[in-house]
Amino acid sequence: MQQSRPSVFIRTHFDACTGCQLCQAACSLHMFGGYNPRKSMLTIRRKWENMAHIPVVCEQCASPMCLRACPVQAISRDEKTKVVGIDREKCISCGLCDRYCPLGMIHLDAESGKAFKCDLCDGSPSCVKACPTGALDLITSPIRPGDAAEGQS
Amino acid sequence: MNSAAWGVMLHADLTTGTFQDVVLPDWLQEGYLGGKGYAAKLLLDLIPERADPLGPDNMLLFLPGPLTGTPAPAMRACVATKSPQTNLFLDSYFGGMFGPEIKYAGYDGLMISGCATEPVVLVVDRDGPRLQPAEALWGLDTLETTRRVKEVLGDEEFKIATIGPAGERQVRYSLICCEFNRQAGRGGAGAVMGSKNLKAVALKGERLVRVHDQSAFDRALDRANKEIRDSAECRSLMASGTAGSVEFANEAGLIPANNFSDGTSSLAKKLGDAGQSRALWLSRAACFGCPIACTQMGAVRTGTYAQMVTDIVEYESAAMLGTNLGIGDARAVAHLTKLCDLLGLDSISTGACVGFAMEAASKGLLAGWAPAEEIADLEFGNIPAAEEVIRMIAAQQGELGRLLSQGVKAAAKTLGPEAERLAQHVKGLEMPAWGPRGAPGMGLAYMTADRGACHQRGFPVGYEATGMEWRGKPVQALSLEGKAELVATLQDYLAGTDCLVKCDFGAMGVAPETYAELLNAATGRNVEASFFDELGRRIWNTTRLFNLREGLDISHEHLPRRFVEEPLPSGPHKGHRITDEDMRTLLADYYQVRDWDAQGRPLKESLIHSGVETDRRVVLTAPMAQNETREA
Repeated sequence: MQQSRPSVFIRTHFDACTGCQLCQAACSLHMFGGYNPRKSMLTIRRKWENMAHIPVVCEQCASPMCLRACPVQAISRDEKTKVVGIDREKCISCGLCDRYCPLGMIHLDAESGKAFKCDLCDGSPSCVKACPTGALDLITSPIRPGDAAEGQS
Repeated sequence: MNSAAWGVMLHADLTTGTFQDVVLPDWLQEGYLGGKGYAAKLLLDLIPERADPLGPDNMLLFLPGPLTGTPAPAMRACVATKSPQTNLFLDSYFGGMFGPEIKYAGYDGLMISGCATEPVVLVVDRDGPRLQPAEALWGLDTLETTRRVKEVLGDEEFKIATIGPAGERQVRYSLICCEFNRQAGRGGAGAVMGSKNLKAVALKGERLVRVHDQSAFDRALDRANKEIRDSAECRSLMASGTAGSVEFANEAGLIPANNFSDGTSSLAKKLGDAGQSRALWLSRAACFGCPIACTQMGAVRTGTYAQMVTDIVEYESAAMLGTNLGIGDARAVAHLTKLCDLLGLDSISTGACVGFAMEAASKGLLAGWAPAEEIADLEFGNIPAAEEVIRMIAAQQGELGRLLSQGVKAAAKTLGPEAERLAQHVKGLEMPAWGPRGAPGMGLAYMTADRGACHQRGFPVGYEATGMEWRGKPVQALSLEGKAELVATLQDYLAGTDCLVKCDFGAMGVAPETYAELLNAATGRNVEASFFDELGRRIWNTTRLFNLREGLDISHEHLPRRFVEEPLPSGPHKGHRITDEDMRTLLADYYQVRDWDAQGRPLKESLIHSGVETDRRVVLTAPMAQNETREA
């Protein structure tokens, strides 16, 4: 079974993250055309009051639980980019993808009820560009897409 | 047309439990912009003359600005109300995440009037505004309240503003703690919130803030961020926040030592960035949308206060609860600061009150007035005694706690004339941590600040202590000449940009032209850089009208006697003081620069010239019943 991840991925560095949420503002702008960090595809977990900030991004998993949980096959991996995407026409707003993503990376839009997730911004993620501290890094995998076996990318 | 401003505020009347969306008139949006501008005009229009600050007629406003909630660096919001400390205009600014949330909830501000009969939480989310009972939260500290409100609402994503036990008891200098641990600290807004029986406000906004012209906004953002990266001041704040000011202020002879009796302290070194970095810091933290991240979060790892998580001890707290009390242990000062935050006390005013009490005790002024056991160990440098007094203030416990909870002005009045010489305040607001004897421009800024002794309405120290150029000439620290113009100009620009609502630290990098560009792209306006100076002048005249109406007269515009009578004992400006004659000269110049008469009253022409709106006013009509306030 061909199941590889995209050739680029976002690496997070919690030690550089200040919790400023500029990544989330950039993401909501990309996805919805306006600013509201609540409407972004990545999250920042906070620990010890406001001391540690741990950015969490979609890993475009090799074996995505959201994809498996979707009852109507609205979630699929793009053959070319390997990004795990959601077809909103097919999405029936059941929320099962959200329930079974252990990282909480599915965003259920309060207005439409539809599911959204990180699309890696066509390989040039807005969140990475917006980060002022280098807490989000764009890494290009040395392994060409399609070469890697499951779980090795 | 998209605009990053909504043109709508939420009015909550706590007496009737009703809500109303208030559409802001165009003239208000054009003439007063947001933040401080709205604060100035709305308090003038909406608070009845001479209203009790702690009564139902006072209004409590939470005001972001047109750029708050966007990635424009670095934006905040303010709380505005009539101050129970000064009986005058009060605006108090806070960062964090609560200000943006007001915008995401769809509002340019929250207007809170009336008084609830029982403790309540104001909740605003997708289902609209509502009040929830808060008896179970009464008595909890600020961070515990923040946690519990989210727990009760079953949603971590709410953003919270809350008072602590001090605010509940209406201690005059109580703060409002805005998520996360960002304080609207000065002037007693927390006491006003407590008087309204409002324990907390919880917001969860689902709206998108959209700018007018995205590509122009992106260009302005790039420019603003570059200006911040290129600014030495901003880079210094990235490295060590305002802790870096501790040693600077000490070297300049401006740091308060032992209730401002001196301007240098041997303890400063331990409390500055080097000392804090070693003893406390572990990680940087930022307010929403800020590339500067001036906070260094840390923890006390060992000793008496072990395992306490602490914010950076920013300059004001390090000085007021450190050198001003004769305390030089960074971990102890972090502990006292955190205690103030949790109890809901302004750390500046608390430091001033405890310092006042320590000096009064040393001079025997408390003996026979407070029980001996309350004042036994009350001396400079005694950490447990300072802690005990802070707890007593918050709880209004004992003679001493009740006395100091009124602030230094009232406390000194009770104790008599000798104590009044130890009370460091202007117009009832305690002094922040920049002694003015080596910086007369700063003295003028204190005397004339609209909310009382405040270092943020104009900060000429930046020029006076460094010799930086103003209008092509290096500023002479001790000279009086030109200081009135310097102060008024700084005041105007800061007030104008406090409508955005900018953070003072971002403003060290971002140029006026860039703020104008950001505003234009975000809202579709077309202003130039000078707009902020003009707006600021309008605001200073508007807040002046409010303050005069509430009883201010120029006899209140003077410095504490210590700075007038006692020469500075040490530092580069040793021997200097600001005489009565100096004050008269500075003030006369200032009123003239402002186009005010000799009694400090704006001339009719100056009101017209600065565009103060005296004919039109904002009026609130009776709110509808609760279930009719909003469409689904």
